[in-house]
Amino acid sequence: MPKGIGRIKIRIPRKIKKGAVIPVKALITHPMETGFRKNKKTGKKIPAYYINDVNVYYGDKLITHCDWTIAVSANPFMSFYVKADKAAPLKIVWKDIKGGVYEKTVQITPE
Amino acid sequence: MSKKETNLKISRRQFMRSTGLGLACAAALMSGALPGLLGKAYAKGTKSANDAAGAESIKKVLRKYFGDRKIENSHVNLKLPIIAENGAVVPIKIQSDLPMDNNNYVKKVYIFVEGNLNPYTAAIDLSPANGKADLAMRIKMRKTSNVRVVLETSKGKLYGAVKSVKVTIGGCGG
Amino acid sequence: MLLLSVTVVIVSFGLTRSQAADDTGTIKEFKQSVSPEEYQRRYKEFYGNFTEQMAEEGNPADFMVDDGKVLFNKVAGTKGKSCASCHKDDGKDLVGAATRFPKYDASIKGIKTVALQINMCRKKNMGAKPMKYQSYDQLALVLYVKSLSNGMPINVSIDGPARPFYEKGKAFYYKRMGQLNFSCAVCHVKYAGYKARANLISNNRHHADHWPSYRLKWGKTGSLQRRFRGCMKNMRAKPLAYQSELYRDMELYLTNISNGLPIEVPGFRM
Repeated sequence: MPKGIGRIKIRIPRKIKKGAVIPVKALITHPMETGFRKNKKTGKKIPAYYINDVNVYYGDKLITHCDWTIAVSANPFMSFYVKADKAAPLKIVWKDIKGGVYEKTVQITPE
Repeated sequence: MSKKETNLKISRRQFMRSTGLGLACAAALMSGALPGLLGKAYAKGTKSANDAAGAESIKKVLRKYFGDRKIENSHVNLKLPIIAENGAVVPIKIQSDLPMDNNNYVKKVYIFVEGNLNPYTAAIDLSPANGKADLAMRIKMRKTSNVRVVLETSKGKLYGAVKSVKVTIGGCGG
Repeated sequence: MLLLSVTVVIVSFGLTRSQAADDTGTIKEFKQSVSPEEYQRRYKEFYGNFTEQMAEEGNPADFMVDDGKVLFNKVAGTKGKSCASCHKDDGKDLVGAATRFPKYDASIKGIKTVALQINMCRKKNMGAKPMKYQSYDQLALVLYVKSLSNGMPINVSIDGPARPFYEKGKAFYYKRMGQLNFSCAVCHVKYAGYKARANLISNNRHHADHWPSYRLKWGKTGSLQRRFRGCMKNMRAKPLAYQSELYRDMELYLTNISNGLPIEVPGFRM
């Protein structure tokens, strides 16, 4: 796997009140290659290589699923919301078209 | 003024009335403010970004995903830059006040970029556990065009919003 | 009509000649079209704060700083050393060092940048191969070393032996070149704050203080000299090789313009 792919940053608020709807910000490094670009030196097409599937689990329940295409920008960023009604891990799993699987978990601990 | 010429001439009052009415109608049509045409106004989008070919293909795409179902142009706030500094990374923010209750929630958010070869950009499946249907992402735009989002509720209702984004050829930085 | 056209040609030729850099003397600098503050105001007005928000959401280059730290401690070369063998404690002695780069180095009789310094160190002290410029590892290491000086004011010297190289750098900055006959200064000093097609031309006050930078256009991180090359290609001029003498001299010239400003790496740019 080339360097720097699949590095993940997930940010949630530091203080979480029970039941609050909190923002989750997630960034993953990935070239999201469209398959339309050409290598300037060889003239050959750079093959498509992008994340097409994202799953978000809160505890053991799947709460959010994304279907992405080549039109999602490189090093994709996404922000969504979660109702923090229980102390449980929040896990995000990204999958790309070459079978790469990248995941990270953060702990949601409401006060 | 002989009697033979009068059928060609109209009084100044008549002229002002009919022209004024015509202009008012044209203005109303252009602003899309006519009531009862909400569905049509949604499909038309903003005039500046509409070229005939673009409008045709977005109609096809909307039909493919939603058939003839009506998409209400309300309850969705779409935030996008007016001019994208770089078409490869256009930040999009979607906000909605639609409920996320167990019996009535936004179950899917669709994002379309009209000017892209394949307008379907992404779809996000949500659940009541999200608490809010707000989302933010970064998308690629091939050229100046409309960006459309459609929110589908668990009860099968559709709500949407459209915004035009300019994607320019930079002088040097772009 | 013919006389008018001829006059126009002669006058414009004369104008371009007069603005050509005089390599032997000092360059007469352009007057800045707008102040850096006015440029920032125009930027916000034209583009909004979308890029600023994206920078705040997260910079993909941040991961490279962490990777750079790992590389700093990694043994390389024939002498069995890592950077940390001499620069102990993850380079504690290098805090503030990047604020004084680029600087004159007698051993090369010229200006050295952080990137060049790293390769010089590797060769001389570690017996290690030089790192390829713009490679992931090379940029990560430069980022790590520079990040040790984050927040500290840039403080390069253009006195003494550095002076003639500073002047060469300035001459290159003002030199008209390429098919479009532009110079860096024409855009970034004289016409900064104005538009080139739909791009707002940036003022050069902050040009040197945030490199290496993640650039949304590249989808990757790159160095200031990569930007030099890109700009020269845009000017339809042939770009120079990385760490060529004129680029190092010009990097000194530009960094001097940012003197007093804090280093902030990695940058996040369009």
